Amino acid sequence: MENLAGIFINSVFAGNILLAYFLGMCSFVAISKNIETAAGLGFAVIFVLTVTAPVNWLIFQFLLAPGALAWAGLPNVDLSFLKFITFIAVIAAMVQAIEMIIDRFSASLYAGLGVFLPLIAVNCAILGVSLFMVERNYDFMETVVYGFGAGVGWFMAIVAMAAIRIKLRYADSPRGLEGYGLTMIVTGLMAMAFMMFSGMAG
Amino acid sequence: MIRRIETFLLAMIDRQRKHFSENGKLARLHPLFEATESFLFIPAIRSQKQPFIRDSLDLKRFMSIVILALMPPFLFGIYNVGLQSLAASGGEPAGFIPAVTLGLWIVMPIVMVSYAVGLFWEILFASIRRHPISEGFLVTGLLFPLTLPPTIPLWQVAVGISFGVVIGKEIFGGTGRNIFNPALTARAFIFFAYPAQMSGDAVWVAVRDTSGTVIDAVTGATPLAITALAPTFDTIESMLHASGYTLSVMFTGLYPGSVGSTSALCCLLGAVMLVAMGVASYRIMLGGIMGVLLTGLLMNLLAGPDSMPWLAVNPIYHLVAGGFAFGITYMATDPVTAPGLDGSRWIYGFLIGALTVMIRVLNPAFPEGVMLSILFMNIFASLLDYIGIRMRFAKRVPNV
Repeated sequence: MENLAGIFINSVFAGNILLAYFLGMCSFVAISKNIETAAGLGFAVIFVLTVTAPVNWLIFQFLLAPGALAWAGLPNVDLSFLKFITFIAVIAAMVQAIEMIIDRFSASLYAGLGVFLPLIAVNCAILGVSLFMVERNYDFMETVVYGFGAGVGWFMAIVAMAAIRIKLRYADSPRGLEGYGLTMIVTGLMAMAFMMFSGMAG
Repeated sequence: MIRRIETFLLAMIDRQRKHFSENGKLARLHPLFEATESFLFIPAIRSQKQPFIRDSLDLKRFMSIVILALMPPFLFGIYNVGLQSLAASGGEPAGFIPAVTLGLWIVMPIVMVSYAVGLFWEILFASIRRHPISEGFLVTGLLFPLTLPPTIPLWQVAVGISFGVVIGKEIFGGTGRNIFNPALTARAFIFFAYPAQMSGDAVWVAVRDTSGTVIDAVTGATPLAITALAPTFDTIESMLHASGYTLSVMFTGLYPGSVGSTSALCCLLGAVMLVAMGVASYRIMLGGIMGVLLTGLLMNLLAGPDSMPWLAVNPIYHLVAGGFAFGITYMATDPVTAPGLDGSRWIYGFLIGALTVMIRVLNPAFPEGVMLSILFMNIFASLLDYIGIRMRFAKRVPNV
């Protein structure tokens, strides 16, 4: 239990998928203009991560990992080179499902997210979490918690960024830094503040 | 006599005015001229049309009050730095005058470099981008050195203040538009870039030989550093007492530490001044203190016989240890980077206090957490305001 709490806290703060690993930057920068939309996308990412990470875990452990096919009588087969394409396929399928659900239940959110909802499929944060999960040898519960925590961390970062951008409307930055340039610099400063959790146990 | 000087200065400024006016040859440096003029006199150009503000608490007066409130920790810091330095070089207890002299000798270069380099960037940006030089810089330029260890190399001061002023403030368009407190941005940047000069036991006391060069930093552990040593004592409190850091010593601040942030007493003086003048928000300060005390108590509840020693420490110690008092008084209350709504301010302060304690207790990598906690909460200040506004909207009776 303590271990799971540690993984959760670590994935939200010290190992924030966005501010420590800089994964998922494109949609973070593009969708953070409005808090409502940012929160909507954040929830979508939380959901996709919580679902895809465990599904990918199951597929990896029972089909792809070295020796995973022992149950089928093939103990010497190692399909782990297929993990990238498999993970991406799973993610794409999940995103498609979510897109249909949002379209059905919240037309405004669907319109707000626009092209970026399908783009969650290629959001590096999603694939990154699945790959980290393999690299760190998490078990099933740990993967569920990690996927959820990483989503919450991403959600937190994008909502904070959207709120900061309200304030940035009053900024008078040098030409050439306006817009995305300033957003990137603010992201860097946010990452610096998040570094205070690095070194924390867990 | 004073009258004479005044007329002389006025005449001088008036003579220069044409060079800095729109078509003058030095038009680009107009912000510099304006800053000098308004620093010395009430500006010659006044608003001609209504509305007039009855009592204008303008940026200049605002920042001057903060500078004034910074004087107690600054002056105390000079004395303390000198005292610790003399004490570390051995010999009999030092007198007041030698301590102050030595303190000035150590602290003034740091402050001067901070001001000179920061002002250079400020003037550069003001001249090129044609915005006025703001007095806000005077605060940043003094806050930053006060959070540094006295042994810091001067070039690092220059690098730090450059980062703070340019990346922390100027690229956002100058004072009032920044998201992060520039002094804290500078401090955090230096902290992560040069950890060897910013943390550990060996940086907090400057010892100089007679020729004035720094011989070498001697070991002078800060209270927070002592607690990181081997846990041979039962509690942090007895450990601190054994090293001479009683609660009252830590309150008055006569111990090795960063230049100006050791004394909770001086910060309290400054805090009273700021609140009485209506410059700083008491809500943030009280919220912060409540955050520290409540989180400290919560940690006490979690403490067991074999848990981390910091868990069991009396919350009062958290208030006086390290830079908390300094941070919550001068940096958390920065009107630009703190939230603007009263309710949000309580929460903002509370979370700063709570995070400070959590970092101190749970994160072995940093013995001090207040600076980063404030920087972290700067990220969420705008979100707290947004939520506060939404809650007000929700309460409002809709127009029918």
